[in-house]
Amino acid sequence: MDAEKDINMSEIDLGDGVRGDKAPRRFQRSRRQKERVPDYIDWKDTDYLRKFVPERGKIMPRRISGVSAKDQRRIAKAIKRARSMALLPFVGD
Amino acid sequence: MANRVYEVMYIAQPETANDDIVKLNEGIQKLIETEGGSVVRIDDIGRRKLAYEIKRKREGYYVLFEIEGSGKEIAELERRFRVNDAIIRFVTVRVDEERKAGEKIRAKRERRKARRSGFKPTETETSTEAQENQ
Repeated sequence: MDAEKDINMSEIDLGDGVRGDKAPRRFQRSRRQKERVPDYIDWKDTDYLRKFVPERGKIMPRRISGVSAKDQRRIAKAIKRARSMALLPFVGD
Repeated sequence: MANRVYEVMYIAQPETANDDIVKLNEGIQKLIETEGGSVVRIDDIGRRKLAYEIKRKREGYYVLFEIEGSGKEIAELERRFRVNDAIIRFVTVRVDEERKAGEKIRAKRERRKARRSGFKPTETETSTEAQENQ
């Protein structure tokens, strides 16, 4: 992921030259969600929750998934509940 | 004040006989009813692989209850779960409020959809989407 960030940084520098190396880069996230988050997130629905849990077992950050802050909180809570019942892993391989 | 809805899930040892599970579930149902609650639903999920080891076990027998009540019966139920050696893990989640919140979100989305469709016909929306894809 860091590599990706570096590439984007260099592109920006080449492009306008205004942004320095130290300038914090804002993540562009797609405003339009392709898929809506359901109105009730079931903590037992592991098939759905797995979309937000990559291989490593961590909860996918909002800047990647593009969900709203509110939905992210609901998803995170559901994932944590599912973890406590061994439906989802705490650490993946 | 029997107005709260809970989801109670437990994981039993994978070796427990099916008869014992049935007996246990009946016992839970009886307990809830004597305490003044009611069992809305029993979902016997069955043996399932655990996402991680619990007590050196890779599998567990999952059962889910949906219970309506005041919360008093949940306390007694949890106490019994703790005493029972066959049960390796359990969790109680109060779901009535979150379901209500879900309803609210759904209503809000529907209102918004109705408003947007009144403002802009859906055809143009799909056509702009097609343009973006190109």
